[in-house]
Amino acid sequence: MKRLMVLLLLVPLAFAAWQSVAAMAMATSAILLAGIYIIGFGLSISELQILAKEEFFQLIALMVMIAALWGGDGILNSVSTNMAFAGDAGTMQNASVIILADWRANVSSALGGLAAMDQSISIEASKGGQCNIFGIGYSVSGCGGYSMLAAPLSMAGGIVGFAIAEIASMERLVQISMNYALNFILPLGILLRTFKMTRGAGGFMIALAVSMHIMLPAGIIFNSMLAETFLADQATLAEEGKTPEYPPVPAEATIMECTGMDTGVIGDSEGISTAVKTYGLAASVDTSTNEGKAVTSYLNMRNALRSYLYAMLIEATMGPILALLLMVASLRALTSIAGAEVDVSAVSRFI
Amino acid sequence: MVELNMMCGSGAGFSPFMTGTILPLVAYATFITAMLIAISFMLGRALSNPKLTLWSKTELVQLFVSAATVLFIPLVVSTFCSVDMGEVGGIFDITDGSGNIYDSAQRYLADTAVYAHNAVTVVRYHLEGYTVISYFNALMCEGQIGGGIGIGCFFGQGSDSIQPLGGYGATMGALNVAFNSSIMSYFSAMNFLFILLFVYRGFVFLFLPLGVFLRSMPYMRPFGSLMFAMALSFLIVYPLMLAIFGLMHGALLIAPQNAAGHPMDVASYNEKIFPESETGSELGGSTGGAEYVRALYFSGNDEVVGAISWAATAFIAGIFFPTLAMLATLASVSYVARLYGDEIDLSKLTQMV
Repeated sequence: MKRLMVLLLLVPLAFAAWQSVAAMAMATSAILLAGIYIIGFGLSISELQILAKEEFFQLIALMVMIAALWGGDGILNSVSTNMAFAGDAGTMQNASVIILADWRANVSSALGGLAAMDQSISIEASKGGQCNIFGIGYSVSGCGGYSMLAAPLSMAGGIVGFAIAEIASMERLVQISMNYALNFILPLGILLRTFKMTRGAGGFMIALAVSMHIMLPAGIIFNSMLAETFLADQATLAEEGKTPEYPPVPAEATIMECTGMDTGVIGDSEGISTAVKTYGLAASVDTSTNEGKAVTSYLNMRNALRSYLYAMLIEATMGPILALLLMVASLRALTSIAGAEVDVSAVSRFI
Repeated sequence: MVELNMMCGSGAGFSPFMTGTILPLVAYATFITAMLIAISFMLGRALSNPKLTLWSKTELVQLFVSAATVLFIPLVVSTFCSVDMGEVGGIFDITDGSGNIYDSAQRYLADTAVYAHNAVTVVRYHLEGYTVISYFNALMCEGQIGGGIGIGCFFGQGSDSIQPLGGYGATMGALNVAFNSSIMSYFSAMNFLFILLFVYRGFVFLFLPLGVFLRSMPYMRPFGSLMFAMALSFLIVYPLMLAIFGLMHGALLIAPQNAAGHPMDVASYNEKIFPESETGSELGGSTGGAEYVRALYFSGNDEVVGAISWAATAFIAGIFFPTLAMLATLASVSYVARLYGDEIDLSKLTQMV
């Protein structure tokens, strides 16, 4: 017992960085436990002796955990800097930041495309005309048919906004994990786990640090790998002379110009514009009327939709979900190993 | 400005509250419990009932444990008051912390609430601006002779109308999501802040005296232990976790970047969204054209992606991390309750978080 105590007091000299904080915490705890045991022994209070012994077992468990983490530090670093995951970025964390920046650019571009289409459509839909002399006259909204396109665009905007928010959240979480996970949250977790009162919180923080450091960027990188496989398949289609079903870059649909005073019923066919875009156009649509132009614009938008799905679903939705799922699953497993009974289902509900 | 020193101030701190309110109540509860135990012991002796005598002895030990816990709390509070989070941060080369643990926890949540409110302000500015400009209606008289004037309106009205700045439905759809999210983040930060203030002012007032009393009552020990465990965990772990997260201020509560790569500034999105009519803006708006009107609301400061990002980071600061602090606190409740010899299932309570 005495030798073990001396060994514990010498432990701080053997470590560096967070390991030294952990070793100091263990040494402090060991001294406190020794004090409690001595008081229990001196006053013949068996409860105190039992408490000191029980806590000493917890201290040994913590030592094993720290040894595993210390040994695992090399493993974590080797996983983190593994070429297969990190690529040219150096570490998994840097790679995930680069991927997220790329996704963010794609989704922002998607929002820009949607906004441009929305503006074109709304300007066309707002076109109208009025004519009156001495208070007698009429007003028409010849392009009202375009209004039907506003609702789906608004809904699409909501989805893209959500996607941008997801990616921004992930960027912030990765940034926090890069700055604080291993050099702040982990040692504090070890420190807190040493004392009985804060053991639950300490175990939780240890699990949080490891999960954020490894699983969060891993989820982002795995999703990127899946996406690359998917895109490779699309590229094969292009090589075979077929049109890729889901182009990776969002494309804008052409919105046809409408003539506000052209109602089609008053006999006014002023300023009928030509169809600018014809792909996906149904044969029965008459592009000489405003209604036909609205329908044509709708069909153009429908064809462009697929180019948005890749950025929205594969990158901005699947990526964060996969990363958070991996992190929460890891958090659940590691909190259990660290001896903290934390119900992380509340965190799962964020997904 | 947030009132600090709620726990550690010399005048209005926790100590007068503890000594003036809690300790007398605990003393009453201890006295009543001790009397009940004494009566039970005497009855046990008088009736020669060893079960009653043994129960009395056991309860006396538990009463001692309860009273010792209550005396342990001021020690913990004074320790937390003397810990400087700036120095703690210094160990890890972090320069964001300052003040004691209780003040740091309070400051973190107050700063988070301000941060989330700034997100609300920025998103709202965009929503209001886009709504106003999208309804701008231009009237173009037939027979234009220049400067927007047409002869079609000289004797009656013959004109086309158009909304040249219309079409922000998709943008506003995206901003609406961010607006709802940032409001939730703001409410969440305020909610966690009020829980913290309640812990500082009212929690122990109820839980400690009740805990002392109930722990010695037959069949009520788990409930009494829960009272103790919650009082201790919320006084120790909850502020500690928040103070630790407060040290991550430098990465957690920074404004997102705009398209130019600079941090966004909430001062660029103040409340002057509606142009002043006294300055002649209505006349300007009706004759100056679409771009003139647009510049009244967005003169290079429209940052839709930045605004949405701000709402997202407010979610991380105002909901995600405070929830983690609460989860760690609840985990600690289980541990502390076990210290008092009782197993407590808090899974239902956790699901409420």
